[in-house]
Amino acid sequence: MAFDIKGIISPFNALKQFGKTPHTVKYPYTKKEAAERYRGFHFNDLEECIGCGTCATICQNKAIDMIEIEGIETTTGDSGLRPRVDNGRCCWCALCVEVCPTGSLSLTKDYLHVTDDPDSFLWTPGVDNPDGEKIKSWVSDVEHSLLDYQRIPMRELEGKERVKSFAEVVLGYSEEEAREEAARCIGCGLCTDNCPVHMHIPEYINAIASGHYDDAVRLIYDNNPLGETCGKVCTRRCEDICAVSKRGEPIAIRWLKRFATETAANKEIIAEIVEPEILPPNGHKVAIIGAGPSGLTAAYYLAMRGFDVTIFESKAHAGGMIMYGIPKYRLPLDSIDKQVEYMKSIGVKIQYNTKVGTDITFDELHKNFEAVFVGIGFEVPYSIGIEGENAEGSIQAVNYLREINSERNIDIGDKVVVIGGGNVAIDAARVSRRFGADVTILYRRRVEDMPADWEEIEGAEDEGVHIKTQAIPLENILDENGRVKAIKYANAEMIPDPDGGRPRPKIIEGDEHVMEVTTVIGAIGQEADYSFFSEDIKEKIEIKRGRIVVNDLQQTSVPWLFAGGDISNRRADAISAVADGYRAVKGIEKYILEKS
Amino acid sequence: MREKETTLYLGPQHPGITGNMMVKLKVAGDTVVKAETHVGYLHRAFEKLMEQRTWMQSFPIVCRICVPEPDPNEENLARAVEEIEGREVPERAKYIRVMALELSRLAAYMLWMGGQSGGLGLYTAPQWSVGDRDYILDLFEELTGGRIYHMYIWAGGVRRDLPDGFKERVLKTMDYFESRLPEYDKLIFDNAIFKKRTIGIGVIDKEKALEWGVVGPPLRGCGIKHDVRIDEPYEIYDKLEFEVPTVEGGDIYARAMVRRREMEQSISMIRQVLDKMPGGPVYNKVPNPLNWYVPKGDAYVKTESARGEFGYYAVSDGSLKPRRVHVRGPAYVHGVSLLERILVGANISDVSPIMNSLGVCPPEIER
Amino acid sequence: MEELKIEKEIAEEISKTFHSAEVTVKREKRVVVKLRDDLITPFLSYAKNNMNFIHLAHISCVDWLEDNKFELIYSLLNYDNKVMILAKTYIDRENPEFVSHTNYWDQAETYEREMREMYGINFKGNKRLTEFILEDWQGIPPMRRDFDTVKFSQDTFYNRPGRENAQDVRTTVTKKSGEEIPEIGKDYTVRNL
Repeated sequence: MAFDIKGIISPFNALKQFGKTPHTVKYPYTKKEAAERYRGFHFNDLEECIGCGTCATICQNKAIDMIEIEGIETTTGDSGLRPRVDNGRCCWCALCVEVCPTGSLSLTKDYLHVTDDPDSFLWTPGVDNPDGEKIKSWVSDVEHSLLDYQRIPMRELEGKERVKSFAEVVLGYSEEEAREEAARCIGCGLCTDNCPVHMHIPEYINAIASGHYDDAVRLIYDNNPLGETCGKVCTRRCEDICAVSKRGEPIAIRWLKRFATETAANKEIIAEIVEPEILPPNGHKVAIIGAGPSGLTAAYYLAMRGFDVTIFESKAHAGGMIMYGIPKYRLPLDSIDKQVEYMKSIGVKIQYNTKVGTDITFDELHKNFEAVFVGIGFEVPYSIGIEGENAEGSIQAVNYLREINSERNIDIGDKVVVIGGGNVAIDAARVSRRFGADVTILYRRRVEDMPADWEEIEGAEDEGVHIKTQAIPLENILDENGRVKAIKYANAEMIPDPDGGRPRPKIIEGDEHVMEVTTVIGAIGQEADYSFFSEDIKEKIEIKRGRIVVNDLQQTSVPWLFAGGDISNRRADAISAVADGYRAVKGIEKYILEKS
Repeated sequence: MREKETTLYLGPQHPGITGNMMVKLKVAGDTVVKAETHVGYLHRAFEKLMEQRTWMQSFPIVCRICVPEPDPNEENLARAVEEIEGREVPERAKYIRVMALELSRLAAYMLWMGGQSGGLGLYTAPQWSVGDRDYILDLFEELTGGRIYHMYIWAGGVRRDLPDGFKERVLKTMDYFESRLPEYDKLIFDNAIFKKRTIGIGVIDKEKALEWGVVGPPLRGCGIKHDVRIDEPYEIYDKLEFEVPTVEGGDIYARAMVRRREMEQSISMIRQVLDKMPGGPVYNKVPNPLNWYVPKGDAYVKTESARGEFGYYAVSDGSLKPRRVHVRGPAYVHGVSLLERILVGANISDVSPIMNSLGVCPPEIER
Repeated sequence: MEELKIEKEIAEEISKTFHSAEVTVKREKRVVVKLRDDLITPFLSYAKNNMNFIHLAHISCVDWLEDNKFELIYSLLNYDNKVMILAKTYIDRENPEFVSHTNYWDQAETYEREMREMYGINFKGNKRLTEFILEDWQGIPPMRRDFDTVKFSQDTFYNRPGRENAQDVRTTVTKKSGEEIPEIGKDYTVRNL
């Protein structure tokens, strides 16, 4: 074998690697830092988390459980549960992070878990690694989240168009828009707790998202026969605590309800879809005073349970405040009629123009019916308490709205001042705009203190209503004929409440102004008229701050007498009235069945 | 004298593949007379699982169909859904997808180099190539948050944009790879042992290759120019300049050389992608995954993976979940009907190298 | 459109030869052909021998449980013009049987073995319909839609203890509020358990 020089030289090739950076682990050993967006173990900010469980729902490995954690209570808007991860199943895909509505869940750079205990694969993020906050790597942000934080905008008439007529302002979602909006929902159901009726919100939204509108309607009518009304004018407390609203716009629950209920165009179609299961007559008779939302709701579900129900309504139309208090551009007459007609079709009887106390006595009702439900609402306005209040040209908003909704005209002239900051005040102002008047709202406090819905306030501003805040009316100035010609008011400053309450307005001495007006409309609140109760009853029932005290099932201290709506709850909205009516059904049923 | 036939069970663990698969060999002496593929060690029913999950939940599943190269699976499923839905993907996302695909091709080839040469007794090669592959995994970790399972490409685009300074680090790694290629040539491709063990071994008949359903590097190793990236350009492959190398011979060596040359092409493609990448969004948001109804329809999409044509046939019935997702991996053909055919007549010691050269990956046979 | 010229030509040729076939050009490089089940074999033979679709990329099966049908999809590729044909047909779901195409393509054998195992379709003429992926499988073919994977895994495996205290969010909320979800709502409720 010949001498092979190559065989001797070649190994020296390796010398050229000398001095190069080694590819192996360095000595002394330094732990490799995980990348900026490494997907390691979970971390959960327990304060931010609201326990919606979406992480557990999306997890395709079923690795996440929602569990109770000591010190975290179930409250409205927080299930009180927190995720626990089974690290034996987790694949760190971070889908859970991507769908977390609050952004509390994230993955960390931590990926080593060494333990002697083979059962320690369960891991409650945030509890087991409180320090995880510092090493968060794969985080959720609105930009990368798989959830959609932008609401599908609702189409509306333009402000300039609106003031020309009483046409409905909100145009409603198209089918496509509704499905798109419904798809944003994560179905956690936290919202249902804040709804006075506890409507089946995630269920009907899911039904809409999947295109099963009939099921959505059925689910809505399950505990709310005024779903369409609520779809238009609900105060939607549900949206206040929507999980998606933590970082974006809440699901348009109200508009979705509106969309679903409007798919049923008339009472026949509603009946066809809902297919109400009406029990055979059970022979028990119930009287209901007032065909407002609470009375109608009670009547509907009682009639379905086989009761013989009669509503006594003092006016020519059913609906109460939703009929006479809410302007028609928010809730058209057709819509109310449709809903009332449907209720009548399943057996609810309504005696119109029958005022209890005048046309029929309360004792008669008691004699002829086994139980009586009172849902008369607050119809008597508070007086503003200023000089010249009873003069011509000074009216009350509830009366004004009632007259307008009854299609009677009231001459308000061209310069109107509305006093108050609630929804009634806004309604009166917007209605006045539709008659061409220049409208100013005088409100004692700031805009952010106004009890009215922000959408209503915004709508009013769009339509050209002036809002003058921190203005306290002092006096109506009358002309020689005793008619209001101007209003005197003073500007106020906000004084912080030493007890931590909301700031109070205080008149700035000398800062007084006079505004020429043709009409002053008062809208600072209403109360009930209980004069139809006999003295005997008045003594037995308890009335606190103008409201009748009732138990969980709307029963007063007189066992056969039930009450609901504005006269028993402080929330003063339709949905709470519906809730009262729904509860009263259970109360009345229980009372009558136990008695007989 | 006719030699006595014996049955030899090769596997399920052996150096021929990544994964577990058994080949039942009938041998006479050292020569294989009959080969039968037995799979079932890795069946996780991914296709069935996807039918029980929403479309978005399917994405973390598909990447596990191929460990060495998960990205084509993600990309395929994403593109299938996008085709059914008619969803647009932002331009930048397409560039990033191609970058991820080519990076994963490089990583897969690195792993293959280790397996192929390690199986032939060249033990330095796996140390080098697996070590170098880690630099790509580092890049993936930075880009996607995961080293092996990236779960990065999904319907509508990619999950996150490039991190700061990522481009420079990729280019640096590419420069390093390029400088390493001649060293790999010396170590593997020009190595006498390698050549001796691969030239003329495991030959696929060029005439029959198309009919047998051979794809990818094995087909190009028969001198047939076939590559999904040029035949049916997806993402932005039509905007890149690259060659499809072919080598005549149809043996292990030809397949190896195809891959070796493709590595250069991949490096060049990654550079082009980074150079041409436009700005803009990387993700066209799909609806909330819990309520994402994909319209009725079906789509067959395919990708050129490191082992050949990867096809996804996805069917939607208009519901939240896929009706059917059928994964067609190249190994489905390479590892069963083709392997059983070309193993006949091979020496037992060549069985593993042949399997490795075909890129047999049992998880994609069983899914 | 000019760019779909080849696809249209292919579609036209198929329509001319197979009058009952429903041919659509789905997009560039994709032609979908819906055929009667007895025409699949002649079609595959014609496509392979006369139209140069020599590559069988895959055979897929979709279970349309509601219609009591299996849909079979044969994907063919032409290497020259790179067009793919998806040939689809429906077969009966009760006692499903179909013709084997192993004599046309080697790889058809594997696809047919798998479909026999996963869907229970008997491919007449395939000599190797043996066990493929599953081992000693006794139950209904698992890829059929009526196979309940959750039940299977519950019957076959056990859960490691320690997770029993998991709660459902919706139930927790209804417990607090007293809401009663009616029967029709149950399908729409999102559960995390």
